[in-house]
Amino acid sequence: MNLTSLVFLMFCIIVLGIYFISPKKFQWFILLISSIIFLFWNNLSISTIIQALVVLLTSYVFGILIDKYHDSTKKSKIFLIIGILIILGQLICLKYTNLFSITINHILKLFHIDFKLELLHFNSLVGISYYSLIMISYLVDIYRGACKSQRNIFKCALFMSYFPILTSGPFIRYNNIEKELYGKHKFNYDSMCRGLVRTLWGVFKVLVISQRIGMFVDTVYGDLATYTGFYTIIAVLFFTLQLYSNFSGSIDIIMGISEIMGIHLPENFSAPFFSKTITEFWRNWHITLGAWLRDYIFYPLLKSNFMQKLNKKCKKIFGKKIGKKIPLYLSMLIMWILIGIWHGGAYTYIIGSGLLQFLFIFLEDTLEPISNKINNKLGIRKEVFSYKLYQVIRTYLLFSFAMIFFRASSVGNAIEIIKNMFVWNPWVLLDNKSIYTAGLDVYDFRILIISLITLFVVDKLSRTGSVREKLSKQNIIFRWGMLYILIFAIIIFGCYGVGYNPVGFIYENF
Amino acid sequence: MENEEIYERLNTVFRDVFDDESIVVKPETTSKDIEDWDSLEHINLVVAVEQEFGIKFNMNEVTTMKNVGEMVDIIKSRI
Repeated sequence: MNLTSLVFLMFCIIVLGIYFISPKKFQWFILLISSIIFLFWNNLSISTIIQALVVLLTSYVFGILIDKYHDSTKKSKIFLIIGILIILGQLICLKYTNLFSITINHILKLFHIDFKLELLHFNSLVGISYYSLIMISYLVDIYRGACKSQRNIFKCALFMSYFPILTSGPFIRYNNIEKELYGKHKFNYDSMCRGLVRTLWGVFKVLVISQRIGMFVDTVYGDLATYTGFYTIIAVLFFTLQLYSNFSGSIDIIMGISEIMGIHLPENFSAPFFSKTITEFWRNWHITLGAWLRDYIFYPLLKSNFMQKLNKKCKKIFGKKIGKKIPLYLSMLIMWILIGIWHGGAYTYIIGSGLLQFLFIFLEDTLEPISNKINNKLGIRKEVFSYKLYQVIRTYLLFSFAMIFFRASSVGNAIEIIKNMFVWNPWVLLDNKSIYTAGLDVYDFRILIISLITLFVVDKLSRTGSVREKLSKQNIIFRWGMLYILIFAIIIFGCYGVGYNPVGFIYENF
Repeated sequence: MENEEIYERLNTVFRDVFDDESIVVKPETTSKDIEDWDSLEHINLVVAVEQEFGIKFNMNEVTTMKNVGEMVDIIKSRI
């Protein structure tokens, strides 16, 4: 179910209506029924029901067992490992079998062996990458004593399938959301207004900005022979903005809806395009995924006996400063490869959202002393606006470069796009005509520029506190004026097109 | 062990991990107060504190402790 479709709008209106008129003690059950409908919408089969039941029953049963044997670390650890292996095993089978087959086929080809593993296409449920990791964290949290297991299987099912998070996250933690998810919620006019504004802002980002940019990006990426040089450069720079407006927009939509129901989800973005380094960028981009990986993979890995021994050895050989960095970089490399794999079972994701990101962070960290020395020698001041602007632009360019792989259909396709960027054709920008042949006309460009400026102004304001909070302090005329402008902008400038068929959410398939 | 002694020993650990002799930790000190205290250095710090006091933090404590005061509370409960 697409978040900007009429079906989803109707679905939300019906769910919200029933949610608030039903007895409060049944509200969580209404949410469960709605989530089950959302989960199996267009995808109801024996196979998908089994997929969901495997995760639910594993996390429910093993959650209780881990809890029960909490005093016996050994037993609870065994139950934790079995639980994780079942959930992870299913996820790997459904999403990453082809990555394995492709790798084997490449190796066989290298040795000229005439054998090919068949590529399989499983029908996996929406949100499987999200709810599988969420349920793993649920088991780990019980093991760590951060929360108690849920004894009601239906409540456990709601935590696993809460419909707003199935499309594109954010990752939720049981102990943070438990109270609100199963709690009783009165209809609150202020919450509704706040949630509605956030949802509308999300719809604006998706329909007015992301869909519009998508028209240009799809045209250029779809015809690499015609569109080269500056067309490609603009498409590459645009794709990052398309991804951001699409992803953060979908998060705004679902966070707004959840807020209306009195359930607050964790923030997933914090104005990432104002970050001065890739390290900072990832602190502000897909925040809950980063936090998940940090708490459940990076920290345990770094604290493991192996890494601690490696740490000691490296410190002895290379000295304290460099020595302590080696296990750190090794853990980071493992984590970034996992981030790449999580994004999809293809090498393009492993390179684009994994290895290249690691490389940038590694270079930022290791080259910082040299860069500082050069800056000092040349008398370059780092605290001035122009230097910060340079850093922000550099971060945007590096991230956009990595996203070439993320968007490309294969590594070969990505290399072709990179080569295309070096074709010299600046006249497409100067003749005031050519640039408007790639899916967007002059009016679209104007709407896009104004929308993007609005997006970045709001992002900038959000860095110093909630923008809705700031808006709520303004006079009523200004507040309602802004709301009407937002609604009319969506209606008039939204990219619906002929026979409008909303482009799927980019993050939906992960 | 008295609070004062714990903080003194923590100061030594912090100074060693972050290579900054001017660090003086207080209960309300957080990662925001020390420049290099990011998620990457956090584990190095935790392990150094564990070694100093001969204790073990569990992963839940590692990921949820909000300031030095909470760290000291855990240390006091273990020694």
